[in-house]
Amino acid sequence: MGGCACATLIPSTLFLGMRNAAAIEIAEKLDLPGKMRLADIALGAAKTMGASYADFRLCRYQTEYIQTKEHRLETSATGMSVGFAVRVLLDGTWGYASSPLATDDEVKRATANAIAVAKASQPLQLRKFELEDLTSYQDRWDMPMKADPFLVPVNEKIDKLLSINEAALKAGANYANATFTFVREEKFFASSVGSRIEQTRVRSMPETEVTVIDKVTGKFASRAGLAAPRGSGYDYIQGYDFLGEAAKAAEQAREKLKAKPIEPDKYDLVLDPTHLWLTIHESVGHPTELDRALGWEANFAGTTFCTPDKLGKLKYGSELMNIVADRSQEGGLSTVGYDDDGVSWIGNDGFPIIQDGIFVNYQMAIGQAQLIGKKTSNGCAFADNWDAFPIQRMPNVSLQPNPKTCSLEDLISDVKRGIYIMGNGSWSIDQQRHNFQFGGQLFYEIKNGKLGGMLRDVAYQGSTVEFWNSMDGIGDKSTYFLGGAPNCGKGQPEQTAPVSHGAVPGRFRQITVLNTERKDVT
Amino acid sequence: MILSEADAQDLTKKILALSQAESCAVSLSGGENRHIRFAQNMATTNGAPGSISITVESHYGKRSGSANGSDLTDDALAALVASSENTAKLAPENPEFMPPLGPQKYGTVAGFSPVTQATTSNQLASAIQPVLQQAQAKNLQASGFLDIGTSFSSFGTSKGLFVYDQETGVLHTISARTPDGTGSGWAGTTHYDFSKLDIAGMGGVAMDKAVRSQKPVKLEPGKYTVILEPSAVSDLIGILVGEEFDQRSADEGRNFATKKGGGSRLGETMFSKSVTIFSDPADAVVPGGIYSDDGQPAVRTTWIENGVLKNLQCGRYWAQKSGRAPVPGPTTLTMIGGTTSTADMIKQTKKGLLITRFWYIREVDPQTVLLTGLTRDGVFLIENGEITRPACNFRFNESPVAMLNKVVALGPSVRAYGEESIGIPISVPTMLVDEFTLSSVSDAV
Repeated sequence: MGGCACATLIPSTLFLGMRNAAAIEIAEKLDLPGKMRLADIALGAAKTMGASYADFRLCRYQTEYIQTKEHRLETSATGMSVGFAVRVLLDGTWGYASSPLATDDEVKRATANAIAVAKASQPLQLRKFELEDLTSYQDRWDMPMKADPFLVPVNEKIDKLLSINEAALKAGANYANATFTFVREEKFFASSVGSRIEQTRVRSMPETEVTVIDKVTGKFASRAGLAAPRGSGYDYIQGYDFLGEAAKAAEQAREKLKAKPIEPDKYDLVLDPTHLWLTIHESVGHPTELDRALGWEANFAGTTFCTPDKLGKLKYGSELMNIVADRSQEGGLSTVGYDDDGVSWIGNDGFPIIQDGIFVNYQMAIGQAQLIGKKTSNGCAFADNWDAFPIQRMPNVSLQPNPKTCSLEDLISDVKRGIYIMGNGSWSIDQQRHNFQFGGQLFYEIKNGKLGGMLRDVAYQGSTVEFWNSMDGIGDKSTYFLGGAPNCGKGQPEQTAPVSHGAVPGRFRQITVLNTERKDVT
Repeated sequence: MILSEADAQDLTKKILALSQAESCAVSLSGGENRHIRFAQNMATTNGAPGSISITVESHYGKRSGSANGSDLTDDALAALVASSENTAKLAPENPEFMPPLGPQKYGTVAGFSPVTQATTSNQLASAIQPVLQQAQAKNLQASGFLDIGTSFSSFGTSKGLFVYDQETGVLHTISARTPDGTGSGWAGTTHYDFSKLDIAGMGGVAMDKAVRSQKPVKLEPGKYTVILEPSAVSDLIGILVGEEFDQRSADEGRNFATKKGGGSRLGETMFSKSVTIFSDPADAVVPGGIYSDDGQPAVRTTWIENGVLKNLQCGRYWAQKSGRAPVPGPTTLTMIGGTTSTADMIKQTKKGLLITRFWYIREVDPQTVLLTGLTRDGVFLIENGEITRPACNFRFNESPVAMLNKVVALGPSVRAYGEESIGIPISVPTMLVDEFTLSSVSDAV
């Protein structure tokens, strides 16, 4: 899903690569003593060449991508990418270099290269970067998982995907796509403060879509699946009712072709958590990133209206609004034991970003906190590959449930004229995170507290603070859903980060709704 | 990591020799980059990343599987081939499988510059330093990215095809903001030759726009006559002639080129007569890669000619099934320009807006290619033939299909860069367009 700017949520990309036998062979070459030796070479050389801080990340990404269309297998691809990066801070200037060749000589060469880059950049260093006191950790962390997707036979996964398509086609879809992407991310992190950390996590990412067409009118409609990508094993895939959803999606796509067009106006909206997670991502997750507030993303991802003077003061939303950042959340795509600066999340239950509607915390990486009078990073660094520089990226940022009992039906029952929206359609927000527009997968009329028929051509627009202050009802914990995106874009060169967002349904009053049909394009 | 043509060919042969499949294809790619990233007039995250990628695709009858890796050692290559073969053996037959191609004829690589390849981090820093000093002196905040790289790719098959491409690339984008946060300007482009990039000039444009865009006037949303600068045009054209421009989807009834009653609108006049868009890998302004999908040669292809839809991308299977020639995807894109200068466009506009670039464009409706996104880094109000004031940013809801029916005038086609475009070299004109839909105001600067 380019430009989430998320900076931008980027349309899905292909992951390619190899299966287990080859993966195991490479793994054997990169045992812990071998990694430690390479780290010592890099960190020793960096110190000798004058770096005040250095870190070494050696990563291995195992991937599997299986794509089906209707009754056929389109792609079955595996991947294994291995490489390392050395990052140095030399007299207050950053430099880094990376390579796919994890050998002693190449590590020496890359370290010298990182130093050379930092030296070359020093004339541009108006203000030196300074780091807080960093804690040293020696640890190993593995994401808890019941079923390793890489140990599930590929034909079993292909059969499952084809059966999803079959269910949709049987239910009346003209076209059906189903895709599984699995990633195992293994990172070894070593730093000049003495940290030596190994960690492994896995992502399981299903995507489905059905399309129906009407040849007479030339119209078509699609319905994407609502299953979220997760930081989970194959047990997540096994536990989701893909067949039931595929059949329902085909019927709903057909219903879309005959749905009533929306009359543009202001409506009360009830946003399902399968939809609201993305609104949270764009309008709360990104505005509260400190690097944006400091102007470091001004050229691409943008800045933010959440300037440091608003910290602790801005009434971001209604008192029902409690947003928590948590990289320890089970199933979260951003969940880790340690971030890519080596900051620990072990035993950390997260921190509030919005508390009772007030903006109370930024997300930070190392070298940032002291610029706003804080002491240390809160563990929000991430590099999307072995060849990338760790920058501040989003933790799992989630809307907390209503402590009082409140169901989806309760929220709908207090709406005279409104729309209930499920799933994500298009999404876009400005570079300071004020003005947004969201579509969805399914839109239903709400009339006098009751859910009515399907609507089409719906998108809503709003301005972040006004929107969140219009929220006057949210669901309780029984309505909680963990959504997420595998591909949030930010930084230059652009990096894509996986991140989850928990949400409950929310009710928002008098929001501007558009009709998106263009009758002049026929 | 860069492999020479000889090394890439040797590696491809080595991998093909390991293959026990009925047929096999090998893709190699790699790159070495250097970049300076800066914000608030100073360096931030600077680097020199390198990469290598090896993909082996094995086939048994109509069964296929692929494996990708980054390890060039003999053991790893053997494991990679075995992995792709195991995957293929476990795959069901794909009725749409197309066998690998044999030898093809290719053009000459045109997008490579030894100057770029030899450029150092010191040279990058030296090039950007005067711009940052100027921004500091003007009390502006400059942020940006200056990236150079050399990359290679090759594709070989067990049927004897081998093609090698080596390119250099430069990307430079720069923003300047006023300290009070009410003004922002931007400039950016790509090139393959670092010596052709006017870094000082681009910095000057961004700073000038930042100053001129301060304290913008808030206007009402609505339909406006707009002058879209090349970056903005490149985003919309690049998105249109991307995934949407597909013959099979049109024939199957699921894109903008679908005809009522069935079939596609190929051959119909769908756009203004002034609209011609083509791809030419040998183009002097925007040379592109010499090969495309499945190792097919990239050839000059006209997509829209004088407003007529001439070609849609068409894969080999669909081409065979529908009795057409395959139309590989573009490796470069050019929209033919006109002769109207931006100054003349402003002069002939009674009321309108000059727009620098767009941001966060997403498709709202694939049926009409309706897109939404926002203006950014310099919008200026035109009244009675003159720029009178800076204007606020807007959200737009517009379709490039509709927009290309409302073209009033075109400037010369130039190399351009948009953050939301399709990632291939693109040359487009500045465009004067009527009735561009700006649906709401954004408070962002």
